[in-house]
Amino acid sequence: MPVSTEDVVNDDERKSNRYHFDRHTPEYRRKFEEITEEMQGRCPVAWSDTYGGHWVASGHREVFDLARSAEYLSNDNDLKGERRGYKGISIPTPERMSTVRGGFLEMDPPEQRYWRQALNPYLSPAAVSRWIPVIDEVTRACLDERIESGRIDFVDDLANIVPAVLTLAMMGIPVKDWTVYNEPVHAAVYTRPNTPEAVRVAQLHQEMGRHLYGQMAEIRANPRPGLVNAVVTTEINGQIADDMELLGILSLIIGGGFDTTTALTARSLEWLSDNPAEREHLSRERDTLLNPATEEFLRFFTPAVGDGRTISADCEIAGTRFKEGERLWLSWAMANRDPSVFPDPNKVDLARKGNRHASFGLGIHRCIGSNVARTVFKRMVVQVLDRMPDYKCDPEGTVHYDTVGVINGMRHLPATFTPGPRLGAGLEETLEKVQQICDEQRLAEPVTVRKAQAKISG
Amino acid sequence: MKVRVDSERCQGHTLCAMIAPEVFRLREIDGHSEVIDEEVPAGQETQVIEAVNSCPERAISTID
Repeated sequence: MPVSTEDVVNDDERKSNRYHFDRHTPEYRRKFEEITEEMQGRCPVAWSDTYGGHWVASGHREVFDLARSAEYLSNDNDLKGERRGYKGISIPTPERMSTVRGGFLEMDPPEQRYWRQALNPYLSPAAVSRWIPVIDEVTRACLDERIESGRIDFVDDLANIVPAVLTLAMMGIPVKDWTVYNEPVHAAVYTRPNTPEAVRVAQLHQEMGRHLYGQMAEIRANPRPGLVNAVVTTEINGQIADDMELLGILSLIIGGGFDTTTALTARSLEWLSDNPAEREHLSRERDTLLNPATEEFLRFFTPAVGDGRTISADCEIAGTRFKEGERLWLSWAMANRDPSVFPDPNKVDLARKGNRHASFGLGIHRCIGSNVARTVFKRMVVQVLDRMPDYKCDPEGTVHYDTVGVINGMRHLPATFTPGPRLGAGLEETLEKVQQICDEQRLAEPVTVRKAQAKISG
Repeated sequence: MKVRVDSERCQGHTLCAMIAPEVFRLREIDGHSEVIDEEVPAGQETQVIEAVNSCPERAISTID
């Protein structure tokens, strides 16, 4: 298509708010607050020349207005070039050619809505509260493994395990297989491309894919309750989607269920170690403080930092003119530090009121697992406060992700505390018991079929 | 003030019930919202407007 002089002039004008934005650099992580303040002050919607050129929204109002303009945005990842060739939610587009799109997060309505409607009965507040005894039991076992030693790594020994086990249980996948999924899911986020480590992670990923595919086949042949069963039986326009599409949905559930809650828990526990008076306050006033504190940790740490979109029609939103086909990054993390919505945005205020954070995203693609995330986080934190009230994290062994371009997480968070007595069985034995309970009580049924909470006896 | 939830648009994000629990309740099945009473109780107007502005699906509307 020929480009007229007028187009070029208009383009320069449209893109006059420019900012060189590269969220995948260690520098962005280091200077996050400074960059956020500068962008929000000067260009809350900016054009960046990075990654083939894309828009970046950092102001809360701008992110809010854009994210809710579903009629002008597309999440579609058109891998086979069947529609408009859009590239989904990752910026930049992952180097290795992907054959799987990212589930309903890379779909547009109406398809996207059908999927959410199919899965909501497994993830609604009432559905999630049925699982609380299971979450508590797995958390207890994780802490029991370490309680007598006085040492724990909150990432490796707790925050990786509980979300993974619960996610698999809800899916209807054997919980003992959590190790097959754990490392590839987390490592895929923090491993740099083109390193020997990346080759190993890719292999682990393939193994996980094979396992997941095997579970799909097994559950199709012998149905058992859970999200996998929901996914393989959901008909859209009278058809079951192809296996690659189904794998994408299941991978989205796993990706959403694992690394995000792990990141939130690790970063919050580290903060509470650094602020022992606040930790004691939270523990003492938990009845009123735990809910707002959870929202504040979500806001401040924003585990999933943002999402990409494609502009699907020429439009003007939040004072910027966009053209069809342009890419846009919606920064939940930066929106969460906007001083016009959050007074003193770079301070953690556990009792913060009216906390309209964007940490689960905004708009029609808002996180479907938010009720799971909140519940798992709270149950883990409360048990740590009760059983390891004086824990102290060790900065020497603490490892944050080098970059925060995708997930604001941690690889290791070792801590010491005054040892205490064990309360029950270790993790392996507990997972066997949990599996038995899941099977016998059919816990992974949707809430439409099973309403009662899990029962765990002595 | 009256308030309504468009049940076709609601997708169970649950924000309204967190903001104004005395006005909205969630259906057990899918977390979809419904109003407890169309008539907004006195003193709840601010929360209801906050809920309208927060709804990801723009499914909540008010009539003065």
